[in-house]
Amino acid sequence: MTARLEVRDLSKAFGGVAAVQGVSFDVRDGEILGVIGPNGSGKSTLFNCILGQLLPSAGTVALDGSDVTGLRPSTLNRLGVSRTFQLLQVFPRLTVRENLILAGQEHRGSRLGRLFGARDAGLGPEADRMLEFFRLGALAHEQAGSLSYGQQKLLDAAMAFMSGSRLVLLDEPAGGVNPTMLAGLRDRLAEINRVGATFVVIEHNMEFVMSLCTRLIVLAEGRIIAEGSPAEVRTNAAVIEAYLGH
Amino acid sequence: MTDLLQLLIAGLATGAIYALAAIGFTLLWQTSQTINFAQGEFVMVPAFFALIAMKLGIPYVAALVVAILMSMLLLGAAFRYAVVGPLLNRGVLPLVISTIALGIILKESVKDIYSAEAQVFPTLLPDRNVTLLPGVTISLAQIGVLVVALITIGGLQWFLAGTRTGRQMQATAQNPTVARILGVPVERMILYTFLINAGLAAMASILVSPIYLAKFSNGETLGLIAFVAAIVGGFNQVRGAIAGGLLVGVLDNLAAAYVSTAYRQAIPLILLVLVILFRPQGLLGRKEERAV
Repeated sequence: MTARLEVRDLSKAFGGVAAVQGVSFDVRDGEILGVIGPNGSGKSTLFNCILGQLLPSAGTVALDGSDVTGLRPSTLNRLGVSRTFQLLQVFPRLTVRENLILAGQEHRGSRLGRLFGARDAGLGPEADRMLEFFRLGALAHEQAGSLSYGQQKLLDAAMAFMSGSRLVLLDEPAGGVNPTMLAGLRDRLAEINRVGATFVVIEHNMEFVMSLCTRLIVLAEGRIIAEGSPAEVRTNAAVIEAYLGH
Repeated sequence: MTDLLQLLIAGLATGAIYALAAIGFTLLWQTSQTINFAQGEFVMVPAFFALIAMKLGIPYVAALVVAILMSMLLLGAAFRYAVVGPLLNRGVLPLVISTIALGIILKESVKDIYSAEAQVFPTLLPDRNVTLLPGVTISLAQIGVLVVALITIGGLQWFLAGTRTGRQMQATAQNPTVARILGVPVERMILYTFLINAGLAAMASILVSPIYLAKFSNGETLGLIAFVAAIVGGFNQVRGAIAGGLLVGVLDNLAAAYVSTAYRQAIPLILLVLVILFRPQGLLGRKEERAV
């Protein structure tokens, strides 16, 4: 497997506080990598450094072999790196379908095209496929803000996979989602991975992350303390200590 | 009954002008949390651009186009970059104070540079009466005002709901952080909002000035009524501003006819108090939560 994403010696400090310290890992093509760790272990800071929302203090990030360290989120998005957010970030007064079309880079093209071109920017069929895939077809023309929390989480995930993203980073996709909806979300993510999507998941819900991810890295105090399959990580002494304390 | 119908049409014509100005309040609030207390002056000034253009020998229709373009340049782009831009990250209050100051500057400038006297402003259509139904006559100029205002509002609604640029403007208003990450040119969308606001204000100016004459102090009343209309309809909804404008216009006319001309200006304020007491989000507005 080739590496889709390579993170090397990534560090980020806020004043005197080192949030991420010398983190290195690869995300291989077609895998689901889980990033877990106790609160304050540096997971979100790591995500934000990879996605250009924070400039790393040191280290590099490469996408398919090209250095993308410090590129702006919008540039990374154009390069095929998309993300979801810990807190819901859909456009509440656009319809579900419009949210997907917007996430599909509809703003590309000429200004005249944006003004007078097709309203779905040619992304309608893909948006419809995504709606069906994430079981949101019946809600296509509802305002996103009127959906339940779990449905909005599904929409958030669907938006991240629009337009064939090369790499998707999911920030706590299971947070606040009820068990029934959660099973559906896991099934959808597993299935989209089977057809080739590569993604990284930050998650606190251990059952969700253990059943979804093919490989895990564990962060504590900004460093990687363990890496391996879910079964290996589950029995790792350092991980148990980090979660349960001394 | 025929009187009522005439009053309703006249009220809708006036209300449509208020709606044009009120929409500007909601657009700027949604995209940049700017409450523009110079909005009344933004409606007053373009008429003087047109008058100056006509004085320079430019024909009427071309002068109106010049007025709209000048408004978009000065009251749209320059306002965005010279006033709002530097203050955007300093909270609502500095912007409010700055727009109040801008309103005073615009008003006093027009008075000093052009004239303190009310100026006659030509109508789009001849000011003669036409019979719509037996017994119902109405001014052709008023029909022109209503039609042009409604076409302008319809065009704006089409732009916002029917084009990709409009959808990106909506996305910018609803969630600028994510819109930016998705590659939406957020700054450009905000500029478009300011340009549209200035264009709508210019249209309102062109339509209202033949009725009230072009005068430096027109902005005081117009700004207040448009602000009231935006709050009554719902400050965070364009359709709320439209409904608020039309409602205030109709009530204003009915009050003048059936209550008293002396109290007509109190009617929008009474409506404002009632809405704030019983439906603070406005008739068509949404409840909003903000972190402070």
